[in-house]
Amino acid sequence: MIDFLMLTFRILIFPGFAFLLLLTLFCDWMERKIEARLQNRVGPMVAGPGGILQPLADFIKLLTKEDITPRAAKKTIFKFAPLVAFTIMIFALCFIPIDGASVLSANGFSGDLIIILSFATITSFLLFLAGWASCNPYGTIGSARVLTQFLGYDIPLFLIALTPAFIAGSLQIANIALFQSTHLWPFIILAPWAFVLFIITMQAELEKDPFDVPHSESELVGGLETEFTGAKLAFLHLTRDVQVVFGSALVVELFLGGPYGPVFFGASWFWFTLWFVLKLLVVVTISEYITVVFARFRIDQVLSGNWRILLPAALLSLMFTVALVTWVYHPLGV
Amino acid sequence: MIGLIKSTFGDKVQIQLGQLGAAAITVNNGLHRDVLKTMLAADGKTGITAITGLDLGATIGVYYHIHTSDVFVTIKTEVRKENPKTQTIVDLHPGAAFHELEVADLLGVVFEGHPTPGHFVLSENWPQGVYPLRKDVKVNEIKNVPTPASETIKLPENERLVKIIIGPQHPALLEPEKFAVTVDGETVTKVEPRIGYVHRGIEKASESRGYLQDVYLMERICGICNSCHAYGFVGAVEKILKTQVPPRAEYLRVIALELNRLHSHLLTLGHAGLEIGYETLFQYFWRDREPIMDLIELTSGNRVYSSLITIGGVRRDLKNTDIPKIKTTLKELRAKLPFYRQIYENEPTLKLRMKNVGVLSKQDAINLSVVGPVARGSGYDVDVRKDEPYSAYGEIPFKEIVYTTGDTWARMNVRLDEVEESINIIEYAVDHIPSGPFRLELPRSVPAGEAVHRLEAPRGELFYYVRSNGTDMPDRVKVRTPTFANIPSFLKTAIGESIADIPANFVSLDPCFSCTDR
Amino acid sequence: MTDTKTWARIKSPWVLHFNSGACNGCDIEIVALLTPKYDVERFGVKLEPSPRHADVLLVTGCVTQQCAERLKAIYDQMPQPKFVVAIGACACSGGVFEGNYNVVGGVDKVIPVTAYIPGCPPRPEAILDGVVKLLNALNPPKPKKQPKQAELPKEKTKPEAVEAQAAQGIVEEEKQVAK
Repeated sequence: MIDFLMLTFRILIFPGFAFLLLLTLFCDWMERKIEARLQNRVGPMVAGPGGILQPLADFIKLLTKEDITPRAAKKTIFKFAPLVAFTIMIFALCFIPIDGASVLSANGFSGDLIIILSFATITSFLLFLAGWASCNPYGTIGSARVLTQFLGYDIPLFLIALTPAFIAGSLQIANIALFQSTHLWPFIILAPWAFVLFIITMQAELEKDPFDVPHSESELVGGLETEFTGAKLAFLHLTRDVQVVFGSALVVELFLGGPYGPVFFGASWFWFTLWFVLKLLVVVTISEYITVVFARFRIDQVLSGNWRILLPAALLSLMFTVALVTWVYHPLGV
Repeated sequence: MIGLIKSTFGDKVQIQLGQLGAAAITVNNGLHRDVLKTMLAADGKTGITAITGLDLGATIGVYYHIHTSDVFVTIKTEVRKENPKTQTIVDLHPGAAFHELEVADLLGVVFEGHPTPGHFVLSENWPQGVYPLRKDVKVNEIKNVPTPASETIKLPENERLVKIIIGPQHPALLEPEKFAVTVDGETVTKVEPRIGYVHRGIEKASESRGYLQDVYLMERICGICNSCHAYGFVGAVEKILKTQVPPRAEYLRVIALELNRLHSHLLTLGHAGLEIGYETLFQYFWRDREPIMDLIELTSGNRVYSSLITIGGVRRDLKNTDIPKIKTTLKELRAKLPFYRQIYENEPTLKLRMKNVGVLSKQDAINLSVVGPVARGSGYDVDVRKDEPYSAYGEIPFKEIVYTTGDTWARMNVRLDEVEESINIIEYAVDHIPSGPFRLELPRSVPAGEAVHRLEAPRGELFYYVRSNGTDMPDRVKVRTPTFANIPSFLKTAIGESIADIPANFVSLDPCFSCTDR
Repeated sequence: MTDTKTWARIKSPWVLHFNSGACNGCDIEIVALLTPKYDVERFGVKLEPSPRHADVLLVTGCVTQQCAERLKAIYDQMPQPKFVVAIGACACSGGVFEGNYNVVGGVDKVIPVTAYIPGCPPRPEAILDGVVKLLNALNPPKPKKQPKQAELPKEKTKPEAVEAQAAQGIVEEEKQVAK
């Protein structure tokens, strides 16, 4: 009984739904503040102290707007795709160890790295369906671009994600994170090339500058979100923010040692959560920095960059890591 | 050139030297094509600046304003009102297409042989036979035109081609205008513009307001190049009045015009950043633009509409206590320019989006009579400040910036370098400004006459034609704005490129549709 | 719940900018609001590309004939609750172009306007002031004390009373929409 209550608490409050939601809104605020500061501005200031309640205000305001469904849209997909996309994304986040253990099962299961990457793909596919179902020319073009970009960059993403898996010798996220804390060096030091490539591929997956094409206002008005209003738009935005947290959490787990770090006093779950959040914020900062500093590629440059540069680089990175691990790290006892 | 025309045509032309440019050549209708053919054959750099149509009572005058590499002349012809037909010159010079369409739309002249006749500035459901610029049409009578519904779009014949409509409400475009882009996959095959969404009937309105009121009206053709519009009108009126403004006023006018150029170029450079997704560059450029707006407010009292230039001189004097502030601000701006130059040279994403995009060759630039940074980015060195110096520009040393590659990157670099030249000009003017009066009191009534005035606005050559009939209201004011001349080049450079390049290409010609539509 | 709703609406106004035939002066001042010197994002204002996403429609320009239909279409596409701000002398009444052919003259001849910001062009600070005043008018007015039988209430001519009445009207309109 206690276990059941404990599980419910973990799923709903901490480190589950409520905690993840708050983390998402906080990361959204951080992104806006970093972008503003790098552009010589201040960013949101009025909603709550320092503007920290701004994402919450945006979300609530969108929920209270009139919900319009265009007559020509495919009603079921149009209405439910945003919510389902959001649900799947949060569900994927539940597999990531946050306070020493993930939300759902204590240590995950072998292969859950692949499973959650597939969830991310399904979410993007649902977003494509949402844009397509809105039957608006800008929505259709925008969603087609989302699909081409995401499917293209998925392949290098899987390949590069395999690199830390190979060094740790396991496809279980908890094990990969644990490996880094028991074996001294996090993978960012053992395989920095993979870290850099992963960050770049994540930028493309999350559709942030310079890979911002599906959201490019100057060409596509609102992209796939053009026809959405009210609650559906709120969940589309939230899905995008959760994707950012998801991508950054993956980087933290795979390269920065996950939630594990020194425990100074008291409960270990508190310190693990703290380290996780701190590392997450570092990754979000790096990602937002890249976003602000670059312009936007054209769609054909994005695609040719993927097939001609990133995919070979990902293959090379994997091969190089395999060679390095087999002939250098293992004999050295790393 | 004038001698050549005189010798070729003899008695069939009447030449008045010094009128409407270097000379006004009056010919019978139909002969204008031959005169133009002669000029084109003699000088490869001949081009059309504008075609003015005006209601002369029993006839409609069609004046062709033509520039060559060394002179600027006007060919005057007339057509009868009952049968206003004349022959097109589009086959001789493609850049004349838009000008003829406008005269046809607003005055009812039929140009036989024009490739794409149709409404240009007025809406599709404009009542037949009502030509706004004719004298017998009163403004209150034509106000009840029903608002048009969306225009019907002609689908392309080939089924594989898709027609995409960009505008009138589009986040990339600050102003409403429509482009129907026909694409084959992602490659553009044709671009059809539809302008007229910002047509406010300013030329007609100018005929029912006094000259001084018209300065304020003409200024509001465009919020960005406002001083240039005011100066174009004022310059033409002063030519009719045959007055010379005091030298101090000339220098103050140069300062106002160059401050205008500074803020406009910084605006465009920032806006270009927005179009290619480079928001940070946009924020930085507009942050550096704000001190210039402060300078404009310092010298004239208003941030945007300085209204400094008026008939007879300038409205306000420059205080000596303001000069140090001007110099400090300009020094700070000059210090920031190397940073931007370095971005244009080294930033990889920017170069990917801008290099080899929208290439306009020098011959195309000459054939289409483009002006301003668009021309100078393609190696075609036209700059009215150098070709026909006006105001105090003849006494102030500055460089004309020309790049030869003809792509978007070159055009933006022309503007970036012109920012530095403008700073040089203002500093020189402020240091060498003569003392004396800054304004002449001139009569409200202007004697009968006509004059043209050309100047270099930030976007290119701005042309004004003013005709007065002796009263205190002008008879006809004709404006030819630089974007009007540059849009045909966009129609050409977009073809064969990806549709994703259209925003970057479009913003590089610095379009201003409120100028175009008037 | 009404308080949270109103709070969220005031703190997060997303704007859409439409130029209905303007000279660009007002439009440049609106875009200047996003730049570091004025930074309108402090108030949570975001410039949105699609009418479906926006709460406040900023209209500039004297509304030419061709733009009138489009303005109406954009206004209809916006979801409730929505507000329209007419920026500049031209949008308020036609400005210097009033009386020309092809000019309808004034945004309120086509769609209902909530706030007018005059100027040619209004300074960015003036535009910001207008938008913030519009948002603060969304706050429900403080309840009026019932006057005692013996006292006759004085005629209120202060501007707060007018603003409060306007706010009351907006709140009532919202209640009707929410039903």
